[in-house]
Amino acid sequence: MDAIAIDRVTKRFDSVVAVQDLSLRVEQGAVFGLLGPNGAGKTTSLRMIMHILVPDEGSVQVMGQHASDQTQDLIGYLPEERGLYRRMKVREALIFLGAIKGLGEAEAGRRVNEWLERLELSAWAEKKINDLSKGMQQKAQFIGAVVHRPALLILDEPFAGLDPVNASIIKDIMLELRDMGSTIILSTHRMEQVEMMCDAICLVNHGRSVLAGDLRSIKKSYGKNTLRMEYEGDEKFLQRPELVEKVNRFGAVVEAKLRPGAEPQEILKAAVAAGVRLTRFELVEPPLNDIFIEKVSEANA
Amino acid sequence: MRKIWLIIKREYLTRVRSKGFIFSTIGLPLFSVGIFSISLFLATRATDHTLKISILDNLGGLSAQITAGLQGKLPNGQPQYNIVKILDRPASGEEARRQLNDQIRAGELDGFIEVPKDVLEGKSALFYTRNSGDFSSMHTLNTAVDNAVIERRLSDRGVHIDDLTKLVHGVDMTMVKVSKSGESEEKGQTFVVGFSVVMILYMTLLVYGVATMRSVVEEKTTRIVEILASSVKPIHLLAGKILGVAAVGFTQYLIWGTCAMLISGYGSSMASAMRPGASVPNIHVPTSLLVYAGVFFVVSYLLYASLYAAMGAMVSSEEEMQQVQLPVTLIIVVAFLLYPVIMRDANSTTSVIVSMVPFFAPILMVLRIALQTPPFWQIGLCLLISIVTTVGIVQVSSKIYRVGILMYGKRPSVVELMKWLKYT
Ligand SMILES: Nc1ncnc2c1ncn2[C@@H]1O[C@H](COP(=O)(O)OP(=O)(O)OP(=O)(O)O)[C@@H](O)[C@H]1O
Ligand SMILES: [Mg+2]
Repeated sequence: MDAIAIDRVTKRFDSVVAVQDLSLRVEQGAVFGLLGPNGAGKTTSLRMIMHILVPDEGSVQVMGQHASDQTQDLIGYLPEERGLYRRMKVREALIFLGAIKGLGEAEAGRRVNEWLERLELSAWAEKKINDLSKGMQQKAQFIGAVVHRPALLILDEPFAGLDPVNASIIKDIMLELRDMGSTIILSTHRMEQVEMMCDAICLVNHGRSVLAGDLRSIKKSYGKNTLRMEYEGDEKFLQRPELVEKVNRFGAVVEAKLRPGAEPQEILKAAVAAGVRLTRFELVEPPLNDIFIEKVSEANA
Repeated sequence: MRKIWLIIKREYLTRVRSKGFIFSTIGLPLFSVGIFSISLFLATRATDHTLKISILDNLGGLSAQITAGLQGKLPNGQPQYNIVKILDRPASGEEARRQLNDQIRAGELDGFIEVPKDVLEGKSALFYTRNSGDFSSMHTLNTAVDNAVIERRLSDRGVHIDDLTKLVHGVDMTMVKVSKSGESEEKGQTFVVGFSVVMILYMTLLVYGVATMRSVVEEKTTRIVEILASSVKPIHLLAGKILGVAAVGFTQYLIWGTCAMLISGYGSSMASAMRPGASVPNIHVPTSLLVYAGVFFVVSYLLYASLYAAMGAMVSSEEEMQQVQLPVTLIIVVAFLLYPVIMRDANSTTSVIVSMVPFFAPILMVLRIALQTPPFWQIGLCLLISIVTTVGIVQVSSKIYRVGILMYGKRPSVVELMKWLKYT
């Protein structure tokens, strides 16, 4: 049984087709990345999984059941637009969120305390949500999504607004939940996070799936066509249009995409000839970022 | 069901614990009791010492009658007025007035009445005083002079005042309300009760209807609504919200009602202690009126609260809320503007017709029942119309709510609204 099975789903708003003939499957226990440019239909798809929206055509199954009021309680949701009752106290607001997901209030209270402790918010438990900083509200909202220990966790941009320390705490919790058997669906625009965490992805553009599957096999299918280098010296040796298609610079690291059939050896020779001191020279699979851009511009062409 | 309960509970508790609620619930009765006591205090204080006055009678012979009209007593048993001096036709009116004025300035006198020579021909009498705000004693003094002058005019024509009083003594009329259960003396209680119910209904619809709408808009602007929609059915959310806000209103009325009962109980016991035999009129209200009023009250509330909630779901900001609430508020106001029509004749054809118009029905029927119990078929028909309207509106509202809570930005046009109703 898949955690999620979306079958040929279409959703329209007036003239806009937000999601078109989309099919995707998410295995249980996986971390799944739902990617796509702005307005691609990611949030709309997630809302259909949540049964906040109902598809015009096609079917959505969650844990083997049709999406319904019953399946809602199996899911924890961190929406892209964060929101909590601003004038409620942190602890009280979180207990309410747990309770409407089916927890008893005493049990919800215990778990909220544990989570507040873990995310270092205990001191703020009796403060109003309004008094928290944006990042703290973010953490509180995350607790709201996981407090009922959902089988399926849907996170829309979970790291937005978090400092590196908190981002890494949240990341660890996500991986821990996955190890305990939860399935996680992640929608984000940060490709390096997807590469770090996701087992499988689906890339949507204009409501259609343009690339889907296991992340490792997707990358493998592109082959090792990218040179990742660190060096000191003149970069003129990379100006070989017949070999290098594109160069990306990330501070010290430079990535050069090779043309099909180009020999990396040629570039190494040119570098040595130019007297460049190489500290890193590695042939790798293309970064997800490039695959994303390529696929989207291909689809838009 | 459990989830509706949770929504109601949250809505109720956060509201009841808010400063606004505590302030308005405790503050309002305290404020009115405060104002009442202060004005009572001031009113009794104003007359709690005997006023020393003189009478300057330029016509002559009136002072005895005037004095007779100033025999009132203060609550502490002291006389209200102490007539210090009577100047009957002094040689020089000018001179006498100057002297009296000097006495007032010196504080030996609180005031004096000057009766002009031609008072019988209609010239005004004067009261000289330092304290120009004491209207209640002004009234007493005026009456005393007035009576003295009238008596003099009559006796000049050979009529005795007592004869005249007997002749012009009028007849009172008491209203007796005839209803199925028999005849009872109408002291205006049914009307007062009906009218109070109606005023409370009016306030409730406006205050708590708008509170419901505000709450919907607030959940939208804080974006909490997406989390709620991912956990609770929109119709349950709507129901929970309406009932939660209604429960807050109910609590507030309960507190006010209890306060009012305690105060009036205290007041009437105070009244009978001070003046044995005095009693506060015993308000007798037919139970049927209360039952009908209750039913129509609830129906109107559900109708308008869900309308307001639907309006709230259509907008995404406070400013827009002001605009969309107007049509609903207008319907309510128009219903109340029809009141005079019904008051004039509760059973006229016009009254019957307007009380059957869907949105007006529950509001107007309350008043009709209070004035004159309509035939049972009319009550039944009105109830049916109201319930059908309410059920329909609740359904339409919950659809608008369901689609609207996830919409941000532009307010929908009527055409778009029609499309919303078709969304699943
Ligand atoms: N409630 C709605 N009413 C009308 N149109 C909508 C609604 N929700 C989404 N859309 C439209 O559907 C399309 C897909 O929107 P969606 O929010 O799913 O995109 P997204 O992939 O989440 O984008 P982003 O990365 O910017 O969050 C957009 O064109 C959007 O305008
Ligand atoms: Mg989105």
